[in-house]
Amino acid sequence: MAASRSSNGISRHSQRSTLLKVVILGDGGVGKSCLMNRFVSNHFDEQSFHTIGVEFLNKDIEINGESYTLQIWDTAGQERFKTLRTPFYRGSDICLLTYAVDDPISFKNLNLWKSEFLYYADVPAESSFPFIIVGNKVDVPESEKRVTTEEAEQWCSVNGGLPLVETSAKDATNVETAFSAAVAAWAKLEARVERPLLEDTVDLSKQQNAYRSSCCLPSFV
Amino acid sequence: MDEERMWKDLYHKVVAEQEQKRQKSSDSPSSHEARLQEEDGGFFEKLGTRLADRAEEQRQEETLQPAKDEDNSCSEEEQQQQGDDGEDEAKRARYAAKESNLQRQPSRAYEPSSSPETDSETEEQETALAIVAQSVGLNIEELYTALLYITQHPIGLDVVDQVEQDAIINYLQKAFNIDDETHARVMDETRQMEAPEIHLNIEVIEAKDLVPKDANGKSDPFCVLYLESQPTKRYNTAVKPETLTPVWQEHFALPLEDPENDVLFVEVWDFDAAETVPEKINKVKTIKSVRGLVKLAKEIAVTARNGNHDNEFIGSIRIPLKDIPVVGHVNWYTLEKRGKSKLRGHIRLRMSFSSEHNAQVAFQEHRHLIRILLLHELESNKVEKYTWQLGSWPTAGSIVLMQHAAQRGLKSEIQALAKWIECSNVHQEHPLNFELFHELVQDIRASIKSGMYSDDELKQFWEATRKSLHSGLNALRKIRRLACDNKAVVKQLVAILRIISCLSSLEVPENVNLFPLKMYSWFPPEILEDDRVSILEALEFAVIRGGAEWFEYIVSNNNMESDTDEEAIKYHIKIIQLIKIDLTRASEIYEKLFIKTIDFPYTKVLYRTYEKRISDLCMVIVEDICGRLKRIEIETSENPELSLGTSLFELYLAIQRFAEFGEKVCPDEIEQMKVRNYYDWFASGVSHWLEMAVFKAIKRIDRAIEVDKLQPVDSSVQYSSSAVDTLTIFYQIKVFWTQLAWPDIEGAYAFIAKIVDDICKCCIAYVDRMSQKVDELQEIRDADSNLSRPNLFGQQYDVSVAWCYALNNIEYVRTSIEPLTKDLGFESVIEALAETKSQIEAERCQQTLELIIDNAKDTVRNKIITMQETVAKRMAPAMARYLMEGAEHQQQPDANSSNSMDRLMEYLDSNLITLHDNLSEDNFQRILMVIWEVMAEVLNQLVNSNLRRKRPPAFYSNLHQTLNNLIQFFNLGADELANVQVLERIEKTLGLYGLETGELILRYYQDRLAVQSAMQDEPYGLLTVKAYFFNDLLNLQILNARNLRAIDKKCDTYVKIRLLPEDVFIGMKTFKTNVRKETQFPLYEESFSIPLTSDQSKMKNAVIQFEIKDKDFLRTRFLSECFLSFGDIQQTDSHDGFDALPQIHMKLSRPTSESSEVIHALSKRKGDSQASSFVTKIQSKINSS
Repeated sequence: MAASRSSNGISRHSQRSTLLKVVILGDGGVGKSCLMNRFVSNHFDEQSFHTIGVEFLNKDIEINGESYTLQIWDTAGQERFKTLRTPFYRGSDICLLTYAVDDPISFKNLNLWKSEFLYYADVPAESSFPFIIVGNKVDVPESEKRVTTEEAEQWCSVNGGLPLVETSAKDATNVETAFSAAVAAWAKLEARVERPLLEDTVDLSKQQNAYRSSCCLPSFV
Repeated sequence: MDEERMWKDLYHKVVAEQEQKRQKSSDSPSSHEARLQEEDGGFFEKLGTRLADRAEEQRQEETLQPAKDEDNSCSEEEQQQQGDDGEDEAKRARYAAKESNLQRQPSRAYEPSSSPETDSETEEQETALAIVAQSVGLNIEELYTALLYITQHPIGLDVVDQVEQDAIINYLQKAFNIDDETHARVMDETRQMEAPEIHLNIEVIEAKDLVPKDANGKSDPFCVLYLESQPTKRYNTAVKPETLTPVWQEHFALPLEDPENDVLFVEVWDFDAAETVPEKINKVKTIKSVRGLVKLAKEIAVTARNGNHDNEFIGSIRIPLKDIPVVGHVNWYTLEKRGKSKLRGHIRLRMSFSSEHNAQVAFQEHRHLIRILLLHELESNKVEKYTWQLGSWPTAGSIVLMQHAAQRGLKSEIQALAKWIECSNVHQEHPLNFELFHELVQDIRASIKSGMYSDDELKQFWEATRKSLHSGLNALRKIRRLACDNKAVVKQLVAILRIISCLSSLEVPENVNLFPLKMYSWFPPEILEDDRVSILEALEFAVIRGGAEWFEYIVSNNNMESDTDEEAIKYHIKIIQLIKIDLTRASEIYEKLFIKTIDFPYTKVLYRTYEKRISDLCMVIVEDICGRLKRIEIETSENPELSLGTSLFELYLAIQRFAEFGEKVCPDEIEQMKVRNYYDWFASGVSHWLEMAVFKAIKRIDRAIEVDKLQPVDSSVQYSSSAVDTLTIFYQIKVFWTQLAWPDIEGAYAFIAKIVDDICKCCIAYVDRMSQKVDELQEIRDADSNLSRPNLFGQQYDVSVAWCYALNNIEYVRTSIEPLTKDLGFESVIEALAETKSQIEAERCQQTLELIIDNAKDTVRNKIITMQETVAKRMAPAMARYLMEGAEHQQQPDANSSNSMDRLMEYLDSNLITLHDNLSEDNFQRILMVIWEVMAEVLNQLVNSNLRRKRPPAFYSNLHQTLNNLIQFFNLGADELANVQVLERIEKTLGLYGLETGELILRYYQDRLAVQSAMQDEPYGLLTVKAYFFNDLLNLQILNARNLRAIDKKCDTYVKIRLLPEDVFIGMKTFKTNVRKETQFPLYEESFSIPLTSDQSKMKNAVIQFEIKDKDFLRTRFLSECFLSFGDIQQTDSHDGFDALPQIHMKLSRPTSESSEVIHALSKRKGDSQASSFVTKIQSKINSS
């Protein structure tokens, strides 16, 4: 008991970082889990499974000298999991909307995903929510790329100038960039919002932020 | 026991308490609980324990298990007396009661009845007589006449006296409804009628125990039969040679003229005793040929007839005809011989009466008779429906029937057939007891099997059967109208099943359609007129139809009171419950009857019928309601849908029970059934509830913290009400989840993940609120104490017990996360995933859940540490003040040093006692560390802030002493000290500042020595020497130097030797070597012997300083230096010189400003000339070159 009582508590406690809840959405098979695994453990699994409901991983990153702890929720894209995944949207700080560049339907469905997210996450103002659009699987041969960057960019600008990142979880292209861009987008939006005084305290206050920014639980504010 | 487990046990304690409370009574929450629950209307309890209780109640309602107190009301003895039957009956009675409880609504129409098939479908009953008039084909009067005659001339044993005869005639008159006039006329006619042609049929079967008459001890017996009225008209049997147990089996028909008075004689003779048959036969053989045998037979016959022979009489019997039962019988008779008492033997005879009527006519007549008498009975005695049995005939009736059958020569199988047909006919108008049919059908089946009926008779049988079977199937279809608590009804039910079983073993003739569709409108629509439906199929249709009708009845007779979802759900629950009751009744009462009697899976067939309907009905409503559930908008905090949740899950549980029942009843079919996926319909409802639950939970937690007085809930524990309240919420969520028993494993995983995440959120919310609350309490306390006791020294913060409880509460909630999540079934779900999906996927899911939990636990732990730091920081000002006081206090020369830190110790002591007594051990250890850290920091600041001021070394050494005391006080081990980096610094600082100047200077040199031995490179070259002690004589030999760094091209160096510290070696002269010119590798090779005092030589930390100096043209400059500690110099016993000694190589270096801590301390000592001159000297060295 003596050995465990102090060391971990104190060492952990000295690191203070902003806690952000990130949700990854998109059609089944576009590579959401692969993106998460590549980002968190720099690992790619050729043999992939359908995600069961939800999966969750933590990742600490540093952006512009600020440290962040991302709590990443990977969701199951299949329709039958809808009721099981939507409860997890509430309280998100960032949403990654993903499609596969070789799958035009998954791109088309971005609209559906976006509105599903907005509805269940109960986001008050769409414009103030940091979405990032991620086009995965750019490693496919040019001939198989069915969603052009221009198309995607156009969609993003129609939807309020959302940032677009084309990635490949397989060969690790832009994965880190996508998540960094997401955090940056959050930070940018956050800076516009008036911060409460709690802001500069410990990481716990960020947990509160997570609630507060979703506005689902006014009692937290 | 480790800490973690102790806390886990606390969690389990709450669980146990909650369970206990539930068992006692769920609806009387304590006032504290009530206060909490009023906020959200007992949201969690409703869906947790109360839903569970309600589900339990409903389960009770649906089963036959007696409630506990019911059980006790019946003493054991009684129960034993009742036996199995009693139990069953009690079960059935409970059923009826339960059902009527549920059916509080107007459902009178379906009142259970004690008679099967109380159906108004059949048309209004016509009067019995009308049927008679219409349907009797032959002239009633003719039949009446025949019957009157038969009655007046009865045969056999059964009718004896005139009185009874009159009664029967009277009975017939009434039954046939004949007026007196006609009656009188018919009576007259019958008196003049000739006697009917009646025969006595006799079979002489066998004899035994006959008296032997021949020499060989055997006899050659034969029988002679005759009537008393015609003694000459004799009949005899064959002779059975040499036997005392002859078997004849010969048939005779004796015409009777006066069956009322005549007597039958049967005599047994031994043939021609003088000459045995074999002898005769032998004689005949000599005669040769068949003709001889014929002659012999004739001879025997003649002798037998005239009695004039040599035969010997064995015995005879005398049977008055009226002793023979009218239906006939088989009997052993004892032979007699007048005057002899000795046993003569026994003979067995079969006797019956018969007449020579047209069999067809007689059969028809008999049927009419049965019908007329039956209808008469039913009418005149007001016989209840479904009660008439074979045994119900009055004596008169049965006598008439028997006489008629006998006198018309109707065989028993024909009589049975007649009864079957007529009862079936009458049954349509006035139902009879099915047991009657069962009795009949058993005999008839045997007769059919042995081919005793003509095709025409078979056809008649099946046509009648069509009617009775229809009635039986209808009764089964309407089985729910039966009072299953009525034993008699159950008996009839069994009879019906037996009839069906019996019939199904027979082959239905091609030309008979047992199930015409106009009678069976309720057959499934796919059955067409020409389809041959088997009897068992028809049974199945009846059961299915019965279920369907019952379902429709329930659906249409239970109304929703209003148009709300709530009402709709209640309505559906009720329907399921009623259906479930029906199924339970089926499985517990009827199933065994069906299986035992006819091996028909009643419950299963019924379940199949209901399953589809229930699924269709419920899926629509559930998906509709769930589909309309809106995500929770926080602004409208009091959602009307919140209460809906409860009944929705009641419905869920009702369907779940229904599905579970199906799994039991038809395990092989449930996979294909729609109800199998019932949970899917509710998925979004569950999501919705969970979302609501987080919202409500956090509100409830707010409230719990608000009302928490931060006092222990009881004297044995160290946590307060809000922790218990919060865990209660979790417990309720757990109960809710456990009840759902979500069957789909992937869904279960996702929901558990959600619940775990929610619970973690709640924990964090709890922690935030709790720490906020104690902060607020502290502010209030501060304000109070400022008002009440303005302190000269400023305020002193003391840890409060309330704060300790707050911390314990948090810890308590934190440690509950893990056992709670285990209780959610997290492990078994992971196991199931590994089995049904793959190990990798299961591991990923497990990782997710564990991560969520770990994150929450860490967050809470960080919060705890933050709270502890806050408290420790609050304590800091007082600690600093008392430290300062103590340190200054010791400066006073008269100070009693042991008391100087008393106030600090007192302060720490009292606070640590509070913490120790009220915190959990783990938290106490943790805060001890935190206070220690803060303490160290305070000390550090105190020291550093005083360094600028002029403090004597005693000030610091006091503090140093205090630090050591504190280390003891906190009882810290090396591990803990190593963790506090600031401590090392303070220790060092205090050590330095507490030293006298001389010691400090020595410390400087020792530091230099340390630097020298730590050097990797040799930037200034090496100096090589040899050195030893001989007694108190220090012998040094300076050998050489190499790689000296020269300042200019000319490098003229010498070595200057100095013993340090100076104040130890006061008056000691310095030693120098000669100058070696222009070389960076000078060879000095000079020896010195330096006499020392004994004290000096024993000073192990004394240091020899070797300085390399460059003698320039004008001045001497310092190049570099090195040091040798006395401790490193050998002590030798002999004055052998340097030759045996190893060389000592020392790296040369220059002092730098970095090794300045000592210098820094010395330079603070203003006014200390020793210190300032030393500092000046060193500075000049540093700055030289």
